[in-house]
Amino acid sequence: MRFSAFVQLPLVLFLSAFSCVPAPEQRTQDGRIIIDYWEKWQGFEKDAMGAIVDRYNASQDKVFVRYVSQSQIDRKLLLATAGGNPPDVAGFWSHTVFSYAEKGALLPLDTLMERDGLKREDYLPSVIEGCEYRGFIWGLPTTPATIALHYNKKLFREAGLDPEKPPQTLTELEEYSRILTKRDATGKITQLGFSPVDPGWWSPQWVYFFGGDLVTEDRLSLDLQSDTARSAYTWVDRFADEYGRTELRKFEAAAGQFASSDNTFISGRLAMQLQGVWMSSFIDQFNPELEWGVCPFPGTNDPTRKMTVVECDMLVIPKGASHVEEAWEFIKFVQQQKNMEDLCRGQRKFSPLVDVTEEFYATHENPNIRLFRELAESPDASGTPKISVWDQYRMELGVAFEQIWVRDVEVSEALGTLHNRIQPKLDKANASWARVEEARLAEWKNPEGINP
Amino acid sequence: MARIDQVIPRGTQKRESLFDSKLFLQILQYGGLFTASVIFLFPFLWLLSTALKDLASATSVPPTLLPPVWHWENFRLATEKIPFWTQAFNTVVLCILNVIGTTISCALVAYGFSRIEWPGRDLFFWVTVSTMMIPGAILLVPLYGMYRELGWIGTALPLWVPSFTASAYNIFLLRQFFMGIPKEVTEAAEIDGFNQFQIFFYIILPLTKPALTVVALFSFLYVWNDFMGPLIYLTDEREFTLALGLQAFQSRLGGTEINLLMAAAALVILPVMVLFLFAQRSIIEGISMTGLKS
Amino acid sequence: MTKRERKKLLLGLLFTSPWIVGIMVFTIIPSIFSLYYSFCDYSVLNKPVFIGTGNYQELVTDSVFWQSVWNTVYFAIIFLPLSTAVGILLAVLLHSVQRGRMVFRAIFFVPSLVPLVALGILWRWILNGEFGILNTFLSAVGLPAPNWMGNPDTAKLGLVISSLWGIGNSVVIYLAGLQEVPKSLYEAARVDGANPFQQFWNITVPMISPVIYFNVLMGLIGVLQVFALPYVMTDGAGGPVRSTTFYTMYLYDHAFTYLNMGYACAMAWVLFVIIFLITTITHQLTKDRIVYGSH
Repeated sequence: MRFSAFVQLPLVLFLSAFSCVPAPEQRTQDGRIIIDYWEKWQGFEKDAMGAIVDRYNASQDKVFVRYVSQSQIDRKLLLATAGGNPPDVAGFWSHTVFSYAEKGALLPLDTLMERDGLKREDYLPSVIEGCEYRGFIWGLPTTPATIALHYNKKLFREAGLDPEKPPQTLTELEEYSRILTKRDATGKITQLGFSPVDPGWWSPQWVYFFGGDLVTEDRLSLDLQSDTARSAYTWVDRFADEYGRTELRKFEAAAGQFASSDNTFISGRLAMQLQGVWMSSFIDQFNPELEWGVCPFPGTNDPTRKMTVVECDMLVIPKGASHVEEAWEFIKFVQQQKNMEDLCRGQRKFSPLVDVTEEFYATHENPNIRLFRELAESPDASGTPKISVWDQYRMELGVAFEQIWVRDVEVSEALGTLHNRIQPKLDKANASWARVEEARLAEWKNPEGINP
Repeated sequence: MARIDQVIPRGTQKRESLFDSKLFLQILQYGGLFTASVIFLFPFLWLLSTALKDLASATSVPPTLLPPVWHWENFRLATEKIPFWTQAFNTVVLCILNVIGTTISCALVAYGFSRIEWPGRDLFFWVTVSTMMIPGAILLVPLYGMYRELGWIGTALPLWVPSFTASAYNIFLLRQFFMGIPKEVTEAAEIDGFNQFQIFFYIILPLTKPALTVVALFSFLYVWNDFMGPLIYLTDEREFTLALGLQAFQSRLGGTEINLLMAAAALVILPVMVLFLFAQRSIIEGISMTGLKS
Repeated sequence: MTKRERKKLLLGLLFTSPWIVGIMVFTIIPSIFSLYYSFCDYSVLNKPVFIGTGNYQELVTDSVFWQSVWNTVYFAIIFLPLSTAVGILLAVLLHSVQRGRMVFRAIFFVPSLVPLVALGILWRWILNGEFGILNTFLSAVGLPAPNWMGNPDTAKLGLVISSLWGIGNSVVIYLAGLQEVPKSLYEAARVDGANPFQQFWNITVPMISPVIYFNVLMGLIGVLQVFALPYVMTDGAGGPVRSTTFYTMYLYDHAFTYLNMGYACAMAWVLFVIIFLITTITHQLTKDRIVYGSH
């Protein structure tokens, strides 16, 4: 009795584990081919794409897109791609696409685009630029984003500033920030005009907002010794000195979570915040009463320049995908104007396509959506640096920023250390590339498995 | 001098009697345990309280201890947002398989490492311990390649089959307990004509139930909380486990619905806690270990 | 080899056979691959290219590598003794009471059940420099209230505090050990007039020494690979200013973010050698003090 139970139980479970978690089928019950699409979104962004996937699945009866959207999917994607078992379509960040492309892990889409009449000119130059690497297109856009200075009109009014006139020059930004900052009797900051570290997501691209660059034109070296780069960081250092590092750190500690009504900007404790196009949805969710406006970040004293960072999520086909043509059909479907606009509206972003319907703007929930789009069209819009070691460079840029901000390290010292750490990695990556360049370019011109 | 001599013994006596007094000792013990429990329970209580808040009060600064309004519907919302019950079922199946696999295999192996003397045993044991010193992250790529060759990717097999081949940590743990049982206990059985499997099954296992329970518990918890394994090897949301499903409440830009996340987590934890409370009582307390070692 | 010895060897191999399969398939073979990768330029996405000891040479000159070594050693030196002492203390307390032991033990396990994401959020709140409850408490008793995770000088201490919450596992193991100590020993000691502290040092500690040894060794191996909690509490960044970049976090970055698997494997093998040496020394120093099954 006791013994048979001992044998039976695992046996039953053994079998049930097989039956409840079957091996992945390549076809649905009604005979459609299943293609796997892995994304990294959650929440309303995931749902917006989910609606497009459902629409595609309903629009035809040959292919079924199996959509899995999960945070931290990057690691699964890496292992699966390396293991020769990738999904058919994957949603990529713009900061990882170049290193994957360089290592030959993605399929260049140029042949397919040419065959089916999709053109680079259909897209905003700054957006399609972010999908291009070494002359080839590696993914097609889903939703692009730009960054702008958000400001609180009520606080402007209270401080005697014109709520319809946000700062246009760096000097004005400094001045407004001073006026908008309040302290209590002990010197503690109760309201802050601006902060370079709130939310702190742009410290790697900080130089961009001041009109500088991170790599040289030929992409062979880092570009941190320029006056623009130095002055961008010196500005941070001076800001910390002026407001007091200890008091700023305290203000930071009390910041609360980004997506909450206690976000410093949403709760009215920070008058100006550098934020992306998605911010409006969080304002609507947590404090719809907030009176807010946006303007380009005034990183220089030239009001005609409109500095921003433009980034774009994109759909790629990993090399080794088992259903290239089906994956491409799905990507093309997403690129159709109506689908693209619905997706971008759902994710509260602007459309990456040159042609936009008036209806898109009329129905968009972000009242300032046009400004974000205009920023993407600005000649001063900067994308992701096109180097394959960007992920490491990005991390170290953040550390250098922290050294200056927290530790009061000399700007030249912090940037020097950074240069000495990353330049050799870039040299090494370039040397590796030189060894495979010829073979890779030849392969990319006539990618395997595609009928031109 | 004489006076001091008289004073000291009296003082010592007094302190000893205070020390021996059961009441004093119990106050000390329960006071300590109670304080520790409050500290250990705090994250869980906070989790429960957050689970009952709306999003605004769940993220307010500074945080409030109790929900201003109790949102019991969060539990329902949390189970609707992800295929909760399906994933709960998957998790339970995986947990049971792992508990069975780990406990049986580790007990067998630990017995081989502790109660039988064979040449090369101690060296092999050190190799076993050393395998824990290799960071698991670097083994993922070769393992993935192997599972792909076996056709296991996209199935739950990589998540439970390895448990039947034992794990270094639990082998080591059980070995420590098996070695603690005096030789005389088994020698008597050998004289009575028991073979090694009978000794293992009828003598060693019953004597080390507390340790076996701990191993079962650890392997259960490991699977319960493991999120990377299911992420890497499973592809269909209906096959996910809860630890992976919970990630659905987390968002890229910090837009986490933390109250629903906590509600789902609470639903996950509560049954396990109740299970532990009862399992412990029936398994561990039933045995009296007194006199075993002498 | 006599017949009896051969029989013992066969029996030993028979009992350990599941593990022989397991260790070969799931550990040794993948490890050999990773050892080879450590001598390669290997981006995961491309085939490994043999480069000799290049990765190891680069390690020596990598300042962040040394920083991560220092962070890890610092953390280990504070955390390991502290967690051992607190773990034994709690287990002894738990063992000494008659009523409610089950409930208390379950309570010590609760933090292991709370999902890591939730723990990360919770700990950031408790350790918050402005409104965290730890600082509210510290200020109330007149102690300094640092900006724990916001200050590079205190961030590691903040992690020590939060990691102590996870000692439930070792408490449970100590408790299982305590349950095997015969009560008659204590009775005999009491007759001899030993006070509770003498009983603890002369009976409890030697009797549970195999378990202490196990926990210390596992703690050592674990603490030198500390990863999950600092990773979620700092969003994977190891900040501020790299003050919580621990060894395995840096390794992980190289393996999965920078696509430097070769470098990560070299780091892993260096760590292996370090842990192996420390554990072997610990083993040699303590093996004579461990009492197995006799007294």
